[in-house]
Amino acid sequence: MNLSNVAFLAHTAELSLADKGITSAKVVLTGFIIVFLMLILLIFIIKIYSSIVTAVQNAGTKSKKKNVKQDQTITKTEVTAAPVIASETQTLEDGVSDEVVAVISAAVATMYGSPSKARIKSIKKSSNGGRSAWANAGVLDNTRPF
Amino acid sequence: MEILQGFMDAVKGIFESSGLQTLNWQNYVMIGVSIVLLYLAIKKQYEPLLLLPIAFGMLLVNLYPQIMAAPQTELLTKAECLARDISLSGHATTVIDNVTYYENPTYGGLLYYLYQGVKLGIYPPLIFLGIGCMTDFGPLISNPKSLILGAAAQIGIFVTFTGAIFLGFTEAEAGAIGIIGGADGPTAIYVTTKLAPHLLGSIAIAAYSYMALVPIIQPPIMKALTTKKERSVVMEQLRPVSKLEKIMFPIIVVIVIAIFLPDAAPLVGMLMLGNLFKESGVVERLAKTAQNELMNIITIFLGTTVGATASGQNFLTFSTIKIIVLGLIAFCMGTAFGLLFGKLMYKFTGGKVNPLIGSAGVSAVPMAARVSQKVGQQENPGNFLLMHAMGPNVAGVIGSAVAAGVLLNVVG
Repeated sequence: MNLSNVAFLAHTAELSLADKGITSAKVVLTGFIIVFLMLILLIFIIKIYSSIVTAVQNAGTKSKKKNVKQDQTITKTEVTAAPVIASETQTLEDGVSDEVVAVISAAVATMYGSPSKARIKSIKKSSNGGRSAWANAGVLDNTRPF
Repeated sequence: MEILQGFMDAVKGIFESSGLQTLNWQNYVMIGVSIVLLYLAIKKQYEPLLLLPIAFGMLLVNLYPQIMAAPQTELLTKAECLARDISLSGHATTVIDNVTYYENPTYGGLLYYLYQGVKLGIYPPLIFLGIGCMTDFGPLISNPKSLILGAAAQIGIFVTFTGAIFLGFTEAEAGAIGIIGGADGPTAIYVTTKLAPHLLGSIAIAAYSYMALVPIIQPPIMKALTTKKERSVVMEQLRPVSKLEKIMFPIIVVIVIAIFLPDAAPLVGMLMLGNLFKESGVVERLAKTAQNELMNIITIFLGTTVGATASGQNFLTFSTIKIIVLGLIAFCMGTAFGLLFGKLMYKFTGGKVNPLIGSAGVSAVPMAARVSQKVGQQENPGNFLLMHAMGPNVAGVIGSAVAAGVLLNVVG
């Protein structure tokens, strides 16, 4: 036990019941308000930047679409999510079978609900050499205490 | 005859320095406790990754207390040095009252040196680096409101603080005990080493035990505080989050938190650095090291040395019992407040939020989220709350780090 703790011990030994009440009220109030304020601030910031990112990305996609239409050089056929239309011109990498396309389209359709909301433009195998979803699940399982 | 006498002296010397002569009853009790914990870790697999090194560290320190001994420096006069056959050269000297003393250092025990990483607050942030690499903040970004639940579950920390103050603990000790309610091992250790290092053994063991017991402690509270109708709510699918949003998240969060609450910066900073390793996708090697090798090495050091703080004399006190009871209260309160705020969100959103995800606001990633999923599925087998609960769950990690920053600032 270091000196500061000894000092603290001596300090609380002198605290009356009222002092203890005041001390705890002070900490509870400060803690409660600051934790909430910080996290509420984060909520607003996340919302703001999310909407900016979404707006910028949507604008980017729209302008791209426009260019593609003007040039009449459509290399990728957009596949609507549901019902699934897998056309021959769709950009697919080697090794991505029609069944995989069907499964991905079905998953997208389920996520978005309405067919008008989603289009699959291309399906590529991830070049990311990291862990697979199952490996990640395994790691999470093994490191549960954290 | 001389040989026999020499042999007898040697045996006597070994016996006198053995544990049979030096250990007291508290050490023997703790050896028993550590064997029970080893059994729980190996046979029952209760958090074995941490419990096993903790229990073994506890065993070692109670068998051989010197393993945690701090280095010391003796001051010897010239005569004393000569009497003890210590060479005078190579020793630093100190002059006190015109007498020259030679400094004769004795070195600390093995675990003392490894413990410096805990004592100086190095290991917990490094563990957070690894956690950051493994955490997907996607569910939180797509539903930022879950941060409210992550904040609500921290109320338990401050309520328990009050309980600890009234039970006679100091402000600093009460802060360290309250943080058990954050259900986050590294945060609890970090705060305790800063506020009340003498309580580290009891607090770390209480925190990790309750985290292991999340699936037993939480469900009764969840069922008691929610109605069947609330538990059956099926939540809307989360929107997909773009890569750019995921990359920006750690940078923005660390800027906001470190500016407003610098005391939380070491924990939140490392958590977000790890997350940026993962989300940026350009430093895969670093991300792999942080979440595998580095984290495993730190876990070994952290577990063993935290266990080694639980020597009989330190651990077998009435304070430990009070800490274990207060820790349980902290944990239950955290769960309850998370649920109550979940219920509020249920009301305000017109029944779109399932209050069960609130209990996941006590960090304990991902166990608490799994418990929400499991309890939700008991009411409606087709209900998948896991990803919705991951939002408050990871928000809880940020929330406890913020709460830790507040405690360090206010009572530290």
